[in-house]
Amino acid sequence: MHDAIELEGRGVPTAVIVTTEFVREAKVQREALGMPGVIPVVIPHPLSSLTDEEIRSRVAAALPQVLAAWQGKLRDVD
Amino acid sequence: MNKIYDPRGSVAAQTREISPRASSLQGLRLGVLDNTKWNANKLLRALREELAAQHGLKPTGYYRKESFSRFAEPQLLDEIRKQSDLVVTAIGD
Amino acid sequence: MAAQPAVEAHTAGDDADLVELYYERGFSDGLPVVPPTPAKIDAMLAALGGEPQFLECRVPPRWGGLTREVLAVNLVMAGCLPQHARIVRAALRALCEPAFNLNGVQATTHMAAPLLVVNGPAARAAGMNGGCNAFGSGNRANATIGRAIRLVLLNVGGGWPGELDKATLGHPGKYTYAVCENEALSPFAPYHVEKGFKADDSTVFLMAAEAPHSVTNHVANDAQGILDSICSAMSTFAHNNSVSQGHCAVVIGPEHAATIAKSGWKRADIRNYLWMYSGNTFAEISFNHRYGKVYNRNLPVWYRREPDSRIPIVPSAEHIHLFVIGGEAGRFSAFVPGWGHMTSPVLREIEGASPGSERCVDGTCQL
Repeated sequence: MHDAIELEGRGVPTAVIVTTEFVREAKVQREALGMPGVIPVVIPHPLSSLTDEEIRSRVAAALPQVLAAWQGKLRDVD
Repeated sequence: MNKIYDPRGSVAAQTREISPRASSLQGLRLGVLDNTKWNANKLLRALREELAAQHGLKPTGYYRKESFSRFAEPQLLDEIRKQSDLVVTAIGD
Repeated sequence: MAAQPAVEAHTAGDDADLVELYYERGFSDGLPVVPPTPAKIDAMLAALGGEPQFLECRVPPRWGGLTREVLAVNLVMAGCLPQHARIVRAALRALCEPAFNLNGVQATTHMAAPLLVVNGPAARAAGMNGGCNAFGSGNRANATIGRAIRLVLLNVGGGWPGELDKATLGHPGKYTYAVCENEALSPFAPYHVEKGFKADDSTVFLMAAEAPHSVTNHVANDAQGILDSICSAMSTFAHNNSVSQGHCAVVIGPEHAATIAKSGWKRADIRNYLWMYSGNTFAEISFNHRYGKVYNRNLPVWYRREPDSRIPIVPSAEHIHLFVIGGEAGRFSAFVPGWGHMTSPVLREIEGASPGSERCVDGTCQL
């Protein structure tokens, strides 16, 4: 989240992908770091232990959100 | 009279706006910042291919942080800024 | 630097149960806190040098401002005495240095907690215990110094479990994890002297650490035998060092230390031996590529990655931090794994001076 905020601060629209387990942390971080407008792209947890097939499903989940994040159309999920 | 003290300390109140959003994505330069966590590279590389093939983005740099948990170096972020119109990155396992 | 606001205080009735009110507001580590009073806060502030609004550091991941007044409130809540205040401050300032990456240590799913080891006269003045049951209960200084650090990490740093602290398990050192070296019983130079400080300097050493793992050896009467047992504790691929490297600590009990010293070995010999004869093979840590071809980018680029390549526990002997701690009786030592390459330990003098350059013992002056 810190890197995404630094890039946004430099003027680059940045899509930051987190897993469901880290949404809460991402939201607290963006508040603490003073950029509440960064909306994370959320994919199902986990990521680190997945097979290649499972990763493809994460890519499919992330793709439309990534596009939406860059275009300002992404909304927070709870 | 007793008092309850708040032990939390204050958080800096300054907030910044996010960067202006992109209206059209066609032909924009795409930078990828890999946090080096397990499988983040597979996810990001696959996304990059899809974004280039389906949405007309031009992949430029693929950047890796020194360590997944640490902040990226300012010089690296400046370099990404120079080479990219849009960035995708990943955090958290 | 912008002026820092004063600590907010809300009034409560004379017969209010203050301990329960602090619980209700979520300001506790789970144990009852000592309700701060103006007199206790003032005494703590005096020990810190006054200036209540002086900002010592910002504590991640919440990045709350740790003013001396905020610190004083947390010190009182933890049960500290004023003579503990400067140690806690030095520890927190060290934790907030970028090298430590407290942001990551607080947020990680790993169980790491900051371990504090104090060296020099400050440990004695504060009444810390580096002897019998040093990592256990029963000593106010160890208990409350470590607890004050944790309260600040929770209250100011926002490291609340399930929110910013994502630890899967945590460990008991997340209540308190503060000891001092047993310099009086150690046959070796103190840790901070090895790193270039003078013996009468006082230092704090902070490392993101798992709980200590006991090393028993009641048989060996020489350095090699005892250290082989420690190597055995180090050489698993379960802890984070084996797959992510970084730094680790080794705690030698005084009886083991005496035996090692009798063999004529010094600190550097011990660290070098431990580094040389611990480790795993790449086949072991990559599960023989059973889950796909593994490169492991968390290992240094210069490690060979053939199946039989030795993968050390940490990249060099300087990444092993050696302390003599414990009671007079008992042939035990301990291995304390770290979090990994994502963090570096920090060693700082308690009053804030840089390491002296006059003496470097046993061949190294670097952390």
